[in-house]
Amino acid sequence: MIRFLLRRLAFALLLVIAVSSAALLLTRLAPGDLTSELGPRARPEDVARARERFDLNRNPLAQLGGWAARAARLDFGDSFLYDRPVSPLIRRAAGNTAVLAATALAIATFLGIPLGVVTGSRSSALAACIRGASLVCLSIPPLLASLLLVFLASRTGWLPSGGMTSVAAIDAGWPAWLLDVARHLPLPALALALPLAATFERLQAQAMTETIHQPFVVAALARGVTWRRLLIDHAWRPSLRSMCAIYGLAIGALLSGSFVVEYVTAWPGLGRLMYEALRARDIYLVAGCAAMGGIFLAFGSLVSDLLLFAADPRVREGSGK
Amino acid sequence: MKVRILGIAITAAILVVGFTFWRSTTNPNVGKSANFAAAQHRGGQIVTSGRAAPRTFNRLLGQDQLSFVLGVVTQGHLVRVNYETFEVEPWLAEKWDTSPDGLTYTFHLRQGLTWSDGVPFTADDVVFTLQAIFDPKTGSYISDVLTVGGKPITADAPDPSTVVVHFPAPSGPGVRLLETLWVLPKHKLEAALKAGTLAQAWSTDTPPSEMAFMGPFVIKEYVPNQRIILDRNPHYWRKAADGTPLPYVDRIVYEIIPDQDAELLRLQAGEIDLTQSELRPDDYVPAKRAEDQGKLKVTEIGLSPMADAFWFNLKPEAWKSDARFAFVQKKEFRQAISYAVDREKFAENVYLGAAVPIWGPVTPGNTQWFWPDLPRYTHDVNKAKDILKSIGLEDRNGNGIVEDAQGHEARFTVVTQRGVGWYERGLAELRSQLAPIGIALEPATIENATLNQRLVKSDYEAMYMRFGTTDLDPASELDMWLTTGDAHFWHMGDTRPEAWETQIDALMKQNIATADQGRRKEQFKQVQRIFSDNLPVLYFVAPRMYYAYNVRVEGVKPSVLRPVALWNADMLSVR
Repeated sequence: MIRFLLRRLAFALLLVIAVSSAALLLTRLAPGDLTSELGPRARPEDVARARERFDLNRNPLAQLGGWAARAARLDFGDSFLYDRPVSPLIRRAAGNTAVLAATALAIATFLGIPLGVVTGSRSSALAACIRGASLVCLSIPPLLASLLLVFLASRTGWLPSGGMTSVAAIDAGWPAWLLDVARHLPLPALALALPLAATFERLQAQAMTETIHQPFVVAALARGVTWRRLLIDHAWRPSLRSMCAIYGLAIGALLSGSFVVEYVTAWPGLGRLMYEALRARDIYLVAGCAAMGGIFLAFGSLVSDLLLFAADPRVREGSGK
Repeated sequence: MKVRILGIAITAAILVVGFTFWRSTTNPNVGKSANFAAAQHRGGQIVTSGRAAPRTFNRLLGQDQLSFVLGVVTQGHLVRVNYETFEVEPWLAEKWDTSPDGLTYTFHLRQGLTWSDGVPFTADDVVFTLQAIFDPKTGSYISDVLTVGGKPITADAPDPSTVVVHFPAPSGPGVRLLETLWVLPKHKLEAALKAGTLAQAWSTDTPPSEMAFMGPFVIKEYVPNQRIILDRNPHYWRKAADGTPLPYVDRIVYEIIPDQDAELLRLQAGEIDLTQSELRPDDYVPAKRAEDQGKLKVTEIGLSPMADAFWFNLKPEAWKSDARFAFVQKKEFRQAISYAVDREKFAENVYLGAAVPIWGPVTPGNTQWFWPDLPRYTHDVNKAKDILKSIGLEDRNGNGIVEDAQGHEARFTVVTQRGVGWYERGLAELRSQLAPIGIALEPATIENATLNQRLVKSDYEAMYMRFGTTDLDPASELDMWLTTGDAHFWHMGDTRPEAWETQIDALMKQNIATADQGRRKEQFKQVQRIFSDNLPVLYFVAPRMYYAYNVRVEGVKPSVLRPVALWNADMLSVR
């Protein structure tokens, strides 16, 4: 188990290095640089100063080397857009994204998996309705879903239509602040969770259908086990293997989906920060955000492996050898 | 049975949602006009919004729109330009005297002024700020604005309430230039200037207690990527007409909302009161609908002083040996385009009718410098075709596109910014209006960073976009007019100006060195005439500007210049 965890940790480190280095190089090589943010009327001396400060006069590999050396000492450079070190910006944004992603993942899990069990285990009008709804949720791109939810929220007033906290909570205490965050969470979380819940539902349904045709399930049925107990005690757990395997990917998908959702709903998270950094070619902020994205992905992958480890005895036995 | 019950439940849920939605969009005040109280209310807060986060709180360095907004709301200057009348008016200086040669201005500061931390405001602060601006280590862009005839404006303080400002040479804008002199607190920043670290001072993570302000509001807190909280400055100097202290509201909250569509929805929902920009053409109808529901007030500000521009790259090096440069460099070619465009139709299709035709860069929205008698290119497709023929361009092979004798077609790629609806519509309209005279335009939309880079590097054939401005005086656009300017965008790095460009250079240099405003206007008319004859840049329409804000806000006087509403933040109040 320890060897397994160490292997995953080494993989995570490699992933973070590869992702952040690639992000830095690609940002550097893409047309335009951060001085474009100064506008077409920028003074040449201001452009020159910015290029010097952000190492844009060095060749890309030398810049990458310099950045990596500093990053090893946990100095990820400065952000051009925010004129402050990248690390605290990313820490704050990553925390906000983690809250959003965890909520979305919880919604998607508790919605998608039970619905998948229902649709995968029987054919009924309800199952058909759920399948239809899943297809709709899968087809709506996150941009449209978030705009639609923002529109609904602004028209009905049921939920705040954007941001993470409201102006009214500025001087309120911690309990009020937490409640306020909780009121702001459902909108972006739903925009992220609905397509994911639909994905979970489809996968779980497929896995369930395959599992209930396995000989051990048929044998249990022949022994007189009720249908409900059969689903819960015999079929559900084995069917979770495929779900566990995609959990890591789901976390990665949440992060990429959060780009547009956070942007539209003004959620101050990592996706929005990275989107703005990319648009402005804020090179060190892009690299820092990518590194944090890599950490999220590695974490998701680890969670996925651990879940699989818990759900599938064959994996446990395999790792013990 | 179960399916039927489920069906009934789903139908009931849909009906409940639909009814609630209908109720929420129906306001009992529909059709009623806002009933403003005669006297403005005190207290409360205004929630405003913008799409960008601040890069710095150091007004000497921040060149972006938000820095300007924050400057207006938190800082002070000796004089200010009133965004309603566009006249210069006394601000921290109560009055000033001008020397007979127009080179020396003696400002008499208001008595008893203090910074937001209670420290007295004196003439030394003004002198210190000028030193800071011109310190090379600061690298302030304002030093360019306050340089006249190649030399810096200087100041001295004979006593704590008098500042004498010396102009090294006559200046057209004169005292108007000093609007950009945002006074900084010497007691807070002198040490940084001496240490050569002023450029790093007042960054966005500086604690608010380390800053001091002269404006109506002070920065209380900045939550990165979320909001800036600005509280009332208890030491603000300005009083209302009834002698009570200003500002009226206790707090302004600036929410950072990156997406403009989401911003509009939140404005309609009453979650924000004001935005920093006018309505986009497509937003007018939903905003008007919200006005009918009693949620928003929509007002026409006037004609925009800025217009979308279309131009060819006139830098010869950019075209290398491309034979098409032979057409675009001929003014007749550009004149033919101007004749070919039906500006009324352009206004209708691109701005949904909310625009008026123009023939030069100065629009009727710039009431002080617009010249209504500028020669016009009235829509005439046949004349456009004749002009093209006169320079050897005609459709020789019958494919609908004109070409020269060697077969080089008048086909060009025009780049514009992606995601700006009216740019894309404008370019599509231009393409369809130029097709009948045989000029083919191929639109290419690219993101802003790449667009700016291609502009600066002259890496394009033609471009369609708009440039912003912070003042109506042509002196503020000198970097565009002069061939040596950094924003001479149609020919960057122009080292071999043509005769007409040299004429404009000379006239603009005279213009900024002439104090007589009547003479300046005559000189600028000549500039506009030469520009209109040679058409290095083509302008088609000036859009009408509309502004929407929450009906609970009082005292809004929207301006054609940005910040549209916050320029008089101290006079705003909420019901």
